[in-house]
Amino acid sequence: ALDVPFPSTLEAEIARGSLAPDAEPHRGAVRKELTVSGSLLAVRWRAEDSRLLRISIVNFLDQLALVMRTLQRFGPPVSR
Amino acid sequence: MPAVLGFEGSANKIGVGVVRDGKVLANPRRTYVTPPGTGFLPGDTARHHRAVILDLLQEALMEAGLTSQDIDCIAYTKGPGMGAPLVSVAVVARTVAQLWNKPLLGVNHCIGHIEMGRLITGATSPTVLYVSGGNTQVIAYSERRYRIFGETIDIAVGNCLDRFARVLKISNDPSPGYNIEQMAKRGKKLVELPYTVKGMDVSFSGILSFIEDVAQRMLATGECTPEDLCFSLQETVFAMLVEITERAMAHCGSHEALIVGGVGCNMRLQEMMETMCQERGARLFATDERFCIDNGAMIAQAGWEMFRAGHRTPLSESGVTQRYRTDEVEVTWRD
Repeated sequence: ALDVPFPSTLEAEIARGSLAPDAEPHRGAVRKELTVSGSLLAVRWRAEDSRLLRISIVNFLDQLALVMRTLQRFGPPVSR
Repeated sequence: MPAVLGFEGSANKIGVGVVRDGKVLANPRRTYVTPPGTGFLPGDTARHHRAVILDLLQEALMEAGLTSQDIDCIAYTKGPGMGAPLVSVAVVARTVAQLWNKPLLGVNHCIGHIEMGRLITGATSPTVLYVSGGNTQVIAYSERRYRIFGETIDIAVGNCLDRFARVLKISNDPSPGYNIEQMAKRGKKLVELPYTVKGMDVSFSGILSFIEDVAQRMLATGECTPEDLCFSLQETVFAMLVEITERAMAHCGSHEALIVGGVGCNMRLQEMMETMCQERGARLFATDERFCIDNGAMIAQAGWEMFRAGHRTPLSESGVTQRYRTDEVEVTWRD
């Protein structure tokens, strides 16, 4: 379980929009759920295999870091 | 006049391009090169892409002289390709699409190559030979689909060349295929290799096993040089590609051939295809290394066509996919 703070709800939702669509490899061995509550991105993992879980978490953190760098460098979000 | 931003990173090249109304406004690219004797692995490749993609994005906008507001649509490679690299690029595309509130378009990588080939060369309805490290297909357009007339039944021709380069520890800079091409020019002896055309299709994994074996034996005895092997491999696999392209052209009654994909940069392949085309009274089209090697602008160009035809990719459907057949896409922008 991981809770990631963002400067605003909108940015947390953008992060969710960017990180949720790609399927986990190894069909179904690891399940990941992303939800936004307030300005937090909440990530919950469910897995049987600890090695696959570790790999999923490490990969997620790498992609999350990229999203955060993108938000910092090309944000803030335009008004809508 | 829509301006489209395109992101590509399905293999070891990462590129960001900007296209507006048939003009390429920017197309910076970086290549992840591994030491001789090695190939590129997904995790390391993704790490490379993540490290440079934001700089490339900035470069592309500056070169195009545009701001984020001037961009109408964000296109990215949905597939096919390597998983982690595809994801690394897709998350950035999704993030900027949401940040700037622009529509998102997932593009088929192969179609990106075809649409850029059509744009740059002006070929109207060619038989396309798409040859790269990851793909080998003969494609022709018919009734709203890019239909696959022939393809490799195992590995891509570029994969065969790249893996052979590893055996000889040929440098991967700028690409193994380029270095094989230079060495082949100095080859003198033709070593007989299996020739494996299967009807409309081709096979390369047997040739690779064979030449890996031959390389060990013949180089030890001095029976031939590495240059001879490079020459022999090129002559064999390229002849096979010419054959299946010609077969498709004969079936379609086609007078145009277009080569796209990284292996399309090879001048010997272009020469052999030109000979075949001349014999048939057909015209050969090819692009230079800016566009035959994977690049962002080709994704932007395909995205531009798709955007104008009304395609959109909702976030929920924007996941990447390692397998994505060229004929899965409905080509509504052509009749």
